[in-house]
Formats: sequence, C-alpha cells, structure tokens
Amino acid sequence: MFLLRLEQTIDRFSDLLGKIAAILFVLMLFNVFYDVVSRYLFNAVSIGMQEMEWHLFAAMFMLGIPFTLRAGGHVRVDVIYEGLALRKKAWIDLVCTLVLLIPFCLLVAWYGVDFARESFQLGEGSGDPGGLPYRWIIKSIIPFAMFFNFISGIGLMLRSINILAGRHQDDDYTPIQH
Amino acid sequence: VAAVIAPAQAAEKTYRLKLAETWPTNFGVFSHPAREMAQLAEQMSNGRLKIEIDTANKHKSAFGVFDMVRAGQYDLGHSASYYWKGKVPNTLFFTTMPFGMTATEQYGWFYYGGGMELMQKVYEPFGLMSVPGGNTGMQMGGWFRKEINSVEDLNGLKMRIPGFAGEVLAKLGASPTNIAPGELYTSLERGTIDALEWVGPSMDLRMGFHKIAPYYYTGWHEPGTELQFLINKKKFETLPEDLQKILLTAMKVSAYNMTIESHHASAENWFNMKTEFPDVQVKNFPPEVIAALKKANDELLVDAAAADPLAKEIIDSQAGYQKLIRVWTNIGERAYLNSMAEE
Amino acid sequence: MIGIIMFFAALLMLLVGFPVAYTFGGVALIFGVLAEGPDIFAFMPFRIQSIMENVTLMAVPLFIFMGIVLQRTRLAEQLLESMGQLFGGVRGGLAISTVLVGALLAASTGVVGASVVAMGLISLPVMMKYNYDKRLACGTICASGTLGQIIPPSIILIILGDVLGIPVGDLFQAAVLPGAVLVGAYLIYILVIAWAKPEMAPTIPRDDSLNRKQFYLKAVSSIVPPLALVLVVLGSIFAGIATPTESAALGGVGALILAILYRQFSVKMVMEASIETVKVTAMVFAILLGATAFSMAFSYTGGDYIVEEVLSDLPGGATGFLILSMIAILILGFFIDFVEIAFIIVPILAPVADLLGIAPLWFAILIAMNLQTSFLTPPFGFSLFYLKGVAPREVTTMDIYKGVMPFILIQILIVISIMVLPSWYGLV
Ligand code: NA
Ligand code: NA
Repeated sequence: MFLLRLEQTIDRFSDLLGKIAAILFVLMLFNVFYDVVSRYLFNAVSIGMQEMEWHLFAAMFMLGIPFTLRAGGHVRVDVIYEGLALRKKAWIDLVCTLVLLIPFCLLVAWYGVDFARESFQLGEGSGDPGGLPYRWIIKSIIPFAMFFNFISGIGLMLRSINILAGRHQDDDYTPIQH
Repeated sequence: VAAVIAPAQAAEKTYRLKLAETWPTNFGVFSHPAREMAQLAEQMSNGRLKIEIDTANKHKSAFGVFDMVRAGQYDLGHSASYYWKGKVPNTLFFTTMPFGMTATEQYGWFYYGGGMELMQKVYEPFGLMSVPGGNTGMQMGGWFRKEINSVEDLNGLKMRIPGFAGEVLAKLGASPTNIAPGELYTSLERGTIDALEWVGPSMDLRMGFHKIAPYYYTGWHEPGTELQFLINKKKFETLPEDLQKILLTAMKVSAYNMTIESHHASAENWFNMKTEFPDVQVKNFPPEVIAALKKANDELLVDAAAADPLAKEIIDSQAGYQKLIRVWTNIGERAYLNSMAEE
Repeated sequence: MIGIIMFFAALLMLLVGFPVAYTFGGVALIFGVLAEGPDIFAFMPFRIQSIMENVTLMAVPLFIFMGIVLQRTRLAEQLLESMGQLFGGVRGGLAISTVLVGALLAASTGVVGASVVAMGLISLPVMMKYNYDKRLACGTICASGTLGQIIPPSIILIILGDVLGIPVGDLFQAAVLPGAVLVGAYLIYILVIAWAKPEMAPTIPRDDSLNRKQFYLKAVSSIVPPLALVLVVLGSIFAGIATPTESAALGGVGALILAILYRQFSVKMVMEASIETVKVTAMVFAILLGATAFSMAFSYTGGDYIVEEVLSDLPGGATGFLILSMIAILILGFFIDFVEIAFIIVPILAPVADLLGIAPLWFAILIAMNLQTSFLTPPFGFSLFYLKGVAPREVTTMDIYKGVMPFILIQILIVISIMVLPSWYGLV
C-alpha cells in the first residue's frame, strides 16, 4: 500500500502545480490586458510590466507541463496504444518513462541548474530601462519544472506499477482525456 | 626517430573552433565578418585553424552567445557588446553610445586611446576576451508616423527603442515599448506604436517600414555600432602563439572589411530607397530636441559614472578621447565637407 | 546519417503511444548523447529560454482561454448552431461556420497552436453532437485552424520576408488572395461532400416551436455577442489598440465579460477554465520543447548538412525547379519544423530561383502555402497533435490523419494553381 500512497502524494503535488499555474495564467491575462489599456488610454508603458507578461507566461506553461502529465493531458499517437489492454498500456508507460522521460527531464534539469546559477552569479537583470531584475528567478523555472516533471514521471511509473500489481482494478486512469 | 617527428606533428595539429553568431542565417552584412574571419584564419594558418559557424537558427539563442562562449559550449562568438548590459552593465560602452564617437573615431579610441584595455578589463573576470567585430556605421534615428518638431512632441511617444537610448528618451517623457520583432510591422502600421528604431537602411527596407511611416529621422543614438568577436580565454590560451596571432589578425581584417562594406551597402541602399520610394521624408530632429536629448544623455552618464568606478573610468576615457579627436574631425572632415556645396 | 536514423526511430517510438513530447525528447537524448555526448544537452536551457521569451506564443494560452470560456458558457455552441441553422437547408452548415470562424481567428493570430486548439474546443463538440462524420469534422478544424499561417498577420510570412528580403507588408498583401481562395476551396469541398454524402454533414434541425420571427431573433441574439467578441479582437489590431498577441488577451477578458452578462460567471468557472487552459497550453508547449530537443539533436549530429546537400543541386529549368523544390519542401515538411525549412532550406533555393527569374514574391507565397500544408501532414503535423490534445476520447489519431487528407489535397491543388497562374494571383 506504500506505493499506492506515494503515488497519491505525488499526484496531489502535481495537482498543486496545476493550481499554481492556473493562478499564474489569470495574472498573465490581466497583466496583458492592463498593459494594453494603459498604453492605449494613457500612453503609459512600463517595460517591467511588459516583461512580467512573459515571466508569468513562461512559469505558467513550465509548471503546467508536469501537472498535465499527471492529468493525462499530453498527446499520444494512439494508433496502436488505444486498443491495448490496461496492463500492456501500463508496461509501455513504465518502460518509456524509465527510458525516455526520466533521463530527458533529469538531464535538462541538470544543465538547467548551471544555467540559472550563472544568471544568479552575474546578478543578471533586464537590459532595458525599467525592466525586471533577478533574471535568475525565471531561469530557475527550467531546472525546477524539469525536476517536477521527473517527479510527475515517477508518479506515472508508480501508477503503472500499481496497475501491474493489480492495485488499480478498473480503468480509472484515462491518459488522453481531460 | 619519434622524438624528431613529434614536434613536426604538433606543428601540423589542426585546431577546431566553434563560433556562435547572434544573427540569424543570411543577416546581410552582419553575417560576413565571422565567415570572412573563418576563411582568412584557415588560409593564413595553412588549414591548422578550422572554424565552424553556427547561426542563431542553429543554436536558437541569439542572446545566449555570451553565456555559451563563457561556458565553453562555443569557443568564439560574433555579437554586440551592449546586448550583455543586463548581465554585466559595463559591457554597454563598447558598442556605441548616443552622442558618442563615429566609427573612425571609436576605432581610434579602441586601438590608440585605451579602449581595448578597458574592454578586456570588463570581460576578463568572465573568462572572456572581446575584440571589435565590424562597424555598421551611422545608424538612422528611426521611422516615425508623426513629425517631431519640439520636445513636447516626444511626450507620450510610444517608440520601440531598446536599451540606453530608450532610457534617454524616457527621460524626456517618451514611452519606450517592447514589441516582438514579428509584430513590429503590424504595430507600426496600425499605430499601436508611433515610432521605431530598427537597424539601418538595408535591414529597415527589408522590413518595409518605408511603406507605413512617412518620416525617417537621421541618427543620434548609434553613431557607429561596433560588433564584437567574443573569445573564450581558456580555449584561446590552448592555441599555439602563431595561431593566436592569426586568429586576432583575421578578426581585425574582417571587422575592417565589414565596416567598409557596411558603408558601401548603406550608400547603395539609400540610393535605391530614394529612387524607388521618393516619398520617404528624411528629417533631422530640431536643434532644441537634440539639445534636450543630449542633456538627458549626459545626466544618465553622470549617474552611471557615480554608480561604479570602472564605469566612471570608461566614461571618462571615452569623453576625453572624443574631445581630443573631435577637434581634429572638425578641422579635417567637417571643415572639408562644409567647404563643399552639398552634391 | 544519424539524423535520418533518428527520424525513423522517433516515428517508431511515436507509434508505441507514449506522449509525443517526451518521445521526441527521449529519442533526442538517446541519439544526441550517443553521437555527441551529454554536453549537447547544455544547449537545452538556452533553447527553452528562447521559447519562454517568445512573447508571440503568449497568444496560445490567451486564445485557448477565450475558447474555453466561450465553450463553458455555451456561447460558442449557440453561435455555431445558429450559424448552421441560418444556412437552413444547406448541408454542412456547421462545418462552413467553422471555416468562417477559423478564417476570422486566422486574421487575428499567426500562431497555429492557438487557433487549432481554440477551434477544436469550440467546434468539435458541436459537430460531434450533430453527428458529423468525425473525420470531416477533424479535417475541417485542422485546416481552418491552420489558416492563420497564410492569412496575415502570419509568422511564416514574416520569416520568409526576412529570409528572402521581401518587405513584410508586400507579403501580407500578396497572401490575402491566395488565403481567400483557400478558404473558398475549403467551403466548396464541404458543400460538395455534404451534398454527395448527407450523412457526413447533417443539417441542424430547426426548433419547430419557434416562428420565423422568433427564429431569426434567437439566431441574431446568439450570433451577435460571440461574433462581436471576435470582431473586437480583430478590430483592436486594426485600430492600433493592441498587437496581435495582445488582442488575444482582449478576447479572453471579453469572453469573461460575456460570461458576466449571461450570468454564467463565477470564480469557480474562471478557475476551472484556467486550469483547463493550463493543461492544453502545457500540452502544446511540451511538444514544442520536445521538438526543439529533437531538432537540436538532428542539426548538431549533422542532419542539416544532409538536407543541404540533397537540395543544393535540384535539376531542371524554371518549371522543373519550381516543381521539384515544392515537392522537396512538402516532403521535408512531413518531418521538419517550418521555421527550420524557412531558415535552412529557403536560403539554398532562393538564389537558384533568382537566377531562373522566378519572382521572389511568387516564390515566397508558394513556399508559405506549401509550409502551411506541412502543419497538416501526418505523422508529424503539429496541427494534428494539437487537435488530438483537445479532442474527445472517441476521436483517434487515425481519424484525424484520415480526415485531414482531403484538405491536404486541396492545399496541393491551390499550390499548383499558384504555380500555373501567378499573374491571376497578382504575384508576377
Ligand atoms: Na494570421
Ligand atoms: Na509536418
């Protein structure tokens, strides 16, 4: 039962990322809206607010990717997959997570750490007047999101293992749907 | 026998270097220095230096060139120093400055006025060397949808103009605006922005701005934009001394050639533009506006100098050299040009 | 050589059914690391950063949100139903409405993911409800959602303008007629297929309880608000209020205002819609991340040189060259990203075209039309993945692949017509 509980914990974590991303999206929507209105009506442009748009946007989709993995929202070519039995699907997910997903996410996360650290050490900020400082914050989203992806991938693996061990009785997991 | 052959083999060893450009593939004159440099270096070294060039279309990170060369993912870069202002503020000064030196004057500063030493002082802590990489020459002040007749006309002016020059304009009440390059045309056409600054005649014509903005203002903010070759210092030091010399010479020659080519291309493009689009109105900013811009610029430089000792050293060096060489420019070229009727 | 093996490996791995994004990334990792060592992945953060900073891509979540809100409030459904009913006895009214709405969205964005997903969310459920043939529905949505590439403003045209040295404005102007012809051709195809096979595109039954006046009143009241929203989005660009990307935010906020007016607004609804937006957006961007890893491994292992070599000497005179280069682009479009094609392949072909006296504008529009097709071509057509990502479960990848075939054929026919009749299109 430990594996089942671990799987559920990871799922909850991924869902939390989704909620954070959703809030970031709403902020981004109104950020862009505000920038348009203030520029058109008041000729007032804030480079910082303009840069905030893509900061929110980037954080939103980067954190959204691990959440979407847990929610089964990533596209699959289901020409063969769709017709397979639950156990076979579980095997595919288990093996591919191990061979494709985990190494990819970890490797990118690994190089992402250096990438963000460089920025931190340089004290990098925007090159434009009134732009945002602390570029390392948004750059660290890359290693963090990739690491969260790895964790979400572990969740998918556990799901597959639990299916193979007969701990999920029915097809309560619908990978392609939302 | 082995002992005799070994040095000969070492001399024949081929060094392969990888260069990352900030520019996309086929970016006009900007694309030429790196290629010419690579070719020259290979020929002069009798094939011992081989330089492979990746454009931004390959590495996908136009503004990652500094980091990539620094980290050794690339050995060399071709870019422009002011792009790194957000990372290292003092890199700003080695491209061009509003109301600063012309290309020729600035080369004087680089090679004989202490500019090169100051540039290395800025780049050294990051394991990098930077050398001049070709000059675009005078850049135009940008495309405007409305005339600028007074300082008041700058108030609330929405202009796409990045960096330091944007800061200068902001001081006079303008609103520098970020617009994605892909949306510049639509934004200017529709009046989402009132003005923009792009590159110079050749690149501007490719974007078609002359069809949607009636006024093309002459330059003030980039009197001589110098590109740069970036060199990973550690890698550079692994090269035998003769190859180091060859590399630097190839860079200098190709930079020189780009400067000339750019001057030529601008002249040609200007002629074509005037022939094909006689409606484009070329304007100078009125003296009152120029004076206000200059004042704002000077104030910003004072602030920058107060904030950092090395910045002060560079600003003082540039101002001192400009004062010295401008006297000669005035006696020489300015007097000559003034003495002749405009033809 | 590695590039080619890698391509086929990705193809096989995709068939296994693991998510597309991670399959691209994983295959890139295996081949990239085997050929060049792990350090090749030090480039990945830079490439990801470029996607993160690409503000034009912000249109994707913004349009998706607008689509989702319009769908949740049933405003989109009512719009399409009413438009469909207005077409009365004409079969295929729903598909025709889809193409028309798609064309309108296309005029406000140049980002394919944005419009395909928005159209998929808005119109696929409605077409399914009225028993449309799944394939026809999917094909219609993919094709009309991809129109954004040829109908200005468009990213492909901007890139081509840059690469070929043609002013963007000229290209935008030149693309209007071909774009309109393409829309017309889609409409004719739908009319013909609906007439020949009525079961594929049934008419929407009118509500018999309404008299004529009530019917038109209802139609107007359900068509006007969402259509006005789309027009506001478009209008904000033309009036100089917003850039194309920003206009999508006006659409999102506008959709929320409509929801308030129709008393369907609640914080819960907004949160649910934005979680849904995150999910669909992440699906799109995960594919972009996987694809950038894939193209990185492809080009750093020498794949771009292979492509260059094949293309550098195409035989034939002007006509032969045009035909061969279009076929080459079409085939490469099956598996290479359009940006790569524009930057790597077009510069090889352009000087030859110039030498043969082929007008650059003509050549550019041909390429743009051709590249637009590449979004639709299986197996790697991005539009197909995007639609799959928002489609209901009973729609399979195969349905989408098959559904899009007739539309690919139409596009090819239009490309041929531009090739044969450049002067009619005003391109020479
Ligand atoms: Na478009
Ligand atoms: Na394709």
